[in-house]
Amino acid sequence: MFHKPILPNPSGLERVTVMQGQALASADKSVEFSTVLGSCVATCLFDPDARVGGMNHFLLAEPPPGYDTAVDEHYGLFLMELLVNEMLAKGARKSKLKAHLYGGANVNRNMMKIGSVNADFARKFLANEGIALMREDLGGTQARRVDFRPASGQVRLRTVEDRLAPPVQPTARPAVSFGDVELF
Amino acid sequence: MTTTTRILTVDDSPSMRALLNHALTSQGFDVSQAEDGIAALDWLALNEVDVVITDINMPRLDGFGLIERLREGSRHRDRPILVLTTESSEEKKARARAAGATGWIVKPFDPAKLVAAVRRVSH
Repeated sequence: MFHKPILPNPSGLERVTVMQGQALASADKSVEFSTVLGSCVATCLFDPDARVGGMNHFLLAEPPPGYDTAVDEHYGLFLMELLVNEMLAKGARKSKLKAHLYGGANVNRNMMKIGSVNADFARKFLANEGIALMREDLGGTQARRVDFRPASGQVRLRTVEDRLAPPVQPTARPAVSFGDVELF
Repeated sequence: MTTTTRILTVDDSPSMRALLNHALTSQGFDVSQAEDGIAALDWLALNEVDVVITDINMPRLDGFGLIERLREGSRHRDRPILVLTTESSEEKKARARAAGATGWIVKPFDPAKLVAAVRRVSH
């Protein structure tokens, strides 16, 4: 089997893939966050004064057994809050944050409109938090690729083949234990 | 005399406050909300509470500052204070413990575990 040599990135950028379930922030001019979205939604946050940006990538999880809600917002909410906290830790101020939302496609027409549910959740979260939504490209039926430079706030959006996007099945709650309580 | 446990939740995220409010009121708790440490201190100056649940990362006065201020006086010296945070570092946990926190819960929270913790510390 042949291996192609890894060519140096001509732009000199360090491309960091934001995987489902991640929230990353940076003020580094040499970093570019990148992700591919089907039904998932990516939130890009940018503080133009602090020149700090961040991106998350979430898919609302199915509710755990015994819960009667249509989707489990706990994990999506956690990833949104985690993104905001990562931004604050890098020097951003919450009152200065501007947001972009991408993704939320209903890639498989036979399934429930998972993409729409994710998009509605993200819009509602930003409205609740008072974070200005400057641009959105949500819905439709095509997968998207988003490249985001956190230090400048520049975004490049492209539609891509659906096969490149992560599976459209809603994820189960993360298998790892969460919400553990430690009493001192 | 009321036997309802009164909880003050302190979190700068309205979404998180709404989620906490739903999780706790549905279990019969009497829930009040504050958006940061300063708002919590103002509220606590005028109201009684059985348990405080606080976030760490908040504007004006963060969770560490809130716990320290509450432990300075005699009125809230023994008040159960649970920290509910996205922070998972041992250093932050140790700092909360040193400041006088009663317990440490990492988000995303599990409603059943949270309710069990509140019941445990309030009795």
